[in-house]
Amino acid sequence: MVNIDWNAFITVFVSAIAFTTLIVACFSLGVRFLTNAQNSAPKARKGNSKAQQAESLNLVGAYLFFAVCLSALGYGIWLIVPFVSH
Amino acid sequence: MDPLFIVGLVVAIALFFDFTNGFHDTANAMATPIATGALRPKVAVGIAALMNLAGAFLSTTVAKTISVDMINPGVNITAQMVFAGLTGAILWNLTTWFLGLPSSSSHALFGGLIGSTMAYFGAEGVNFVKMVEKVFIPALFAPVVAGLVAFTATKVAYIITSRSQAERKAKDISTGRQKFKVGQIFSSSLVALSHGTNDAQKTMGVITLVLVAGGVQTNGDHVQLWVVLSAAIAIALGTYAGGWRIIKTLGTGLSEIKPPQGFAAEVSTGITILASSKFGFALSTTQVASGSVIGVGLGRKGGVVRWGKAGQIFTGWLLTLPAAGLVGAGSAYLTMQGDWGLIVDCILTFAVAAAIFTISRRNKVSSTNLLSEVEGASEVVLSARQIQANAKSQKKAEAKAKQKGKKKGKK
Repeated sequence: MVNIDWNAFITVFVSAIAFTTLIVACFSLGVRFLTNAQNSAPKARKGNSKAQQAESLNLVGAYLFFAVCLSALGYGIWLIVPFVSH
Repeated sequence: MDPLFIVGLVVAIALFFDFTNGFHDTANAMATPIATGALRPKVAVGIAALMNLAGAFLSTTVAKTISVDMINPGVNITAQMVFAGLTGAILWNLTTWFLGLPSSSSHALFGGLIGSTMAYFGAEGVNFVKMVEKVFIPALFAPVVAGLVAFTATKVAYIITSRSQAERKAKDISTGRQKFKVGQIFSSSLVALSHGTNDAQKTMGVITLVLVAGGVQTNGDHVQLWVVLSAAIAIALGTYAGGWRIIKTLGTGLSEIKPPQGFAAEVSTGITILASSKFGFALSTTQVASGSVIGVGLGRKGGVVRWGKAGQIFTGWLLTLPAAGLVGAGSAYLTMQGDWGLIVDCILTFAVAAAIFTISRRNKVSSTNLLSEVEGASEVVLSARQIQANAKSQKKAEAKAKQKGKKKGKK
């Protein structure tokens, strides 16, 4: 087989695994932090300051990871469109 | 016959092919979110249609694989040849759909076009090196990549969200894995978007090819805006029209898929297709989605492959291209006979389409035919729960036998 661009296949494989794992990992971390926050919520509502702190910290973490997840997705799509990426 | 008339005919048939492609593939994007309850069917179908529409505008690299790379430069492409390839693809596609054989619209299209080109110009007409690079290797490679990626992603998702038994009891918490349903709204949209990018472009490629053949366009390097627009609208309408079939998804093999798995499968499918589209790989979106579904099935604890089923699906995949090629070559010989051959080929295609449509309407209620190839793929992996259910009766019997043995021992 002559002149087959094997690099293209490697790029597809590496970028698929990298993007997918990144997106899924970030979403999963977001889910974990959000669940943590929800677990502290009942105590936080009763005025437990430690729980309040835990809740807001976990919420910040969760939204941060969801944001990373979304931007990775957006960047991935942006890379595809020749109109904007070239 | 006026070549321009044939060009018009090919454009119309290509758009119809695009419509059936959307119709057929709605389930690829939306079956998992509906199965896990992430989206209501009507909303899911609407999103899928819109995303397909948007996806068609993203790029034209795949279209150029057909309009530029497929046929060797210097070959004098005729509208009849494209016509024969397209009708061959449709004939094969409809037949396999009717018989419930796993197949791929994309490979049928390539098979038909290659077969027709070879019938007209011999093997020298087809640029096989480019075809190996942009169609054959991706066909084998992409589903495996999607499966591997989906497998890894599922493992990652389950590890990150896992909670120890002690933690769950002490704090009375859940793993929160149901939240992946929200993620599925985005991930299934991504699949629909990537579907529009790859599959609508195949139609654009065929239309551009026939425009070049008919002398409307000088070369296939540029896809005209009206071609992009009409292909986008046709695939979106098809996706929307195909929505009613999705409701059958519930209670099938796909219902074994849990939200984290659905999310992982969809992200993997969407990204793999998008990355491949970037390089002009014209792959079967259905096969990529199937690979992902098998990957996530294995990624969760206790999944087991049924090799028999996997083998069946794989054979169907391998068969599509050469079989559609033969049908395409057959149509090509018909069109070579002159205008009457072309008319016969046209009537044959419409007759088969009409016959299959009426028969399938009559059998609409029967649940034996599969909703989609992805659903078939979901049955390749047995989940832990299914294995447990199967083994339950056996275990019960064993336990009873043991108890009897103990009682006897005490006495």
